[in-house]
Amino acid sequence: MVVASKTNTSTRRTGEGAEQVRRLVSVIVLVNERAESLVELYEEYSAPLRTNGIDHEFIFVAQPWFSRLLEPVRSLARNGTPIRAVELAQPSTEATLVKVGAKVAQGDILVTLPSYRRVEASALPTLIEQVEAGVDLALARRWPRSDSWINRIQSRLFHALLGRLSGERLEDVACGVRAMRPELLDQITIYGDFYRFLPLFALREGYRVAEFDCPQHPKDRGRRIYSPGVYLRRMIDVLGLYFLLRFTDKPLRFFGLIGSVVCLAGAGILVVLLAQRLAGYGIADRPLLLLGVVLLVLGTQAVALGLMGEIIVHLHASGRRGYRLRSSAASTGHPDPRKDGSD
Amino acid sequence: MSELALSVVAPLFNEEENVRPFVAAVQAALEPGDDWELVLVDDGSRDGTAAAIEEMTRKDRRVRLIPLARNYGQTAALQAGLDHARGEVVVTLDGDLQNDPADIPRLIVKLDEGYDIVSGYRERRQDRWLTRKVPSWVANRLIRWITGVPIRDNGCALKAYRRDVVERLHLYSDLHRFITAVAAATAGARITEVPVRHHARQRGQSKYGLSRTLKVLVDLLTIKMIRTFRERPLVMFGLGATAAATLAVSFGVAALASLSFQTAKAQAFVFPSATLLWFELAGYLLMLGLIGEVALREVRQSSNEIPIVHEEP
Repeated sequence: MVVASKTNTSTRRTGEGAEQVRRLVSVIVLVNERAESLVELYEEYSAPLRTNGIDHEFIFVAQPWFSRLLEPVRSLARNGTPIRAVELAQPSTEATLVKVGAKVAQGDILVTLPSYRRVEASALPTLIEQVEAGVDLALARRWPRSDSWINRIQSRLFHALLGRLSGERLEDVACGVRAMRPELLDQITIYGDFYRFLPLFALREGYRVAEFDCPQHPKDRGRRIYSPGVYLRRMIDVLGLYFLLRFTDKPLRFFGLIGSVVCLAGAGILVVLLAQRLAGYGIADRPLLLLGVVLLVLGTQAVALGLMGEIIVHLHASGRRGYRLRSSAASTGHPDPRKDGSD
Repeated sequence: MSELALSVVAPLFNEEENVRPFVAAVQAALEPGDDWELVLVDDGSRDGTAAAIEEMTRKDRRVRLIPLARNYGQTAALQAGLDHARGEVVVTLDGDLQNDPADIPRLIVKLDEGYDIVSGYRERRQDRWLTRKVPSWVANRLIRWITGVPIRDNGCALKAYRRDVVERLHLYSDLHRFITAVAAATAGARITEVPVRHHARQRGQSKYGLSRTLKVLVDLLTIKMIRTFRERPLVMFGLGATAAATLAVSFGVAALASLSFQTAKAQAFVFPSATLLWFELAGYLLMLGLIGEVALREVRQSSNEIPIVHEEP
């Protein structure tokens, strides 16, 4: 289904140059958390698309525990509204919701929305226009913000940390209202909670990613303080992200550095103790000896783990390509350059 | 499609001024023949490199542009060029004219003597002495000693490969410095060297610095390990576990010895605990090795790569 729609676009693009290109936009609503009435959400966000004459379909992808919310949407769909409702059979992650939605989607442009309101509906035409103009991934940045200072401080801190670790300057990765070309989701491996960080992966792959100011929705103004578990999970995500962005193809640089520093510290302690032993002092009752051994063991474990990672990366290298061609070249078509030589 | 005899591959990063003279030099070096192509990889340059190459592709059909989406670095750019090269023989070189394209035929002649890779060896290197030549000399000694591949100049980008090798070469991270070692380890390639010319940089900026030493050391360790143990990670980790177990036993002996002669309380736990820690390390390494065998089984199943086979006539 998806493949068919793509060949369709390319013929349209090349075939009728000057004629007004009619694009289909698929809006994927991720019904993952904090869901309210989906029909109201649909009415609100589809209105600006209709007034701007943008062909669109809405796809609601829901976790199983939100299946009740899908009922009114389904009845709308039966009346001929361009809506599809998909419900996962078992609970899964946000990334899975996105992938399921993208699989069902037939559009030439994908928009993802959370099931709660982040920005005014007028954001959608803005973002879609940017993707039509050549941006690969257009992000809504809530600005001007009018919500609680607690939210804003959290957001600032989170994005400052992200910026430091990834080296990219994005101010509202968390917003979640995004428009993109469908290829993006084919090309970038997203799983677990990493859909949130798609823009950072996309930037690293050389896609054009940009943020656009969109007015914040009044309903997004409530003060948000999460349970400690949420913050902890977010920090773990960021650590994982940092590792994936920097060390995917060189794990030993990460583990090797940590491991050798720890090893050196341990070895230093043991050398000092050995010197003392040779000078005639007993060391069998020195807890410092234990510390030295612990550090040495820990460091060795880190290095060993890094080496294992390195071997795995090496053996996977034949199936991976560490680069991407500029999209203009990619669209003229060689999906697998390795085959070029043989035919 | 006609078989191409030769692909010349050059990665370029911000080399706008060098594109035209470089293409001209390659054309001059290979002129009479027509069965070659020049694959120029634009590694996300921020100047007019891509446009300059595009202009050359319009003038000469044998020139091709492979534009990368962003600056990926030399290894990925080189791999992109190798992936897109179609020739039976592939020659790589730097696009900054420090390598002389006129040396290409010499490499190919040597390749025809029965080698899989011919690497250039810069005889009279035209670079800064302290920041470029000395570190390079040390690095090459180290690489030769650790990898066991007798190449004097790993930093020279001018190399010729047979098609067999190109198809077995998968470069990632910063492995471009160790191509010969990787090829020898994974493809079983026959490698030799020929002296080539080296010119001082005429235009544009050098993209190298001195701050790579630590990375090179880590990469060297990686190569060594991969070379030795890619077939059997369990052997590597098993050896480590044996070393740890030996330490455990010696600490255990020390524990017994110190317990029997002295009476201080702390001795009841320091050496015995250290013994346990070493045992723990031995167990950990063994388990890691086992998991490694499991993790790699699947990969091996899917990759049907066998090294190059030489059939003597």
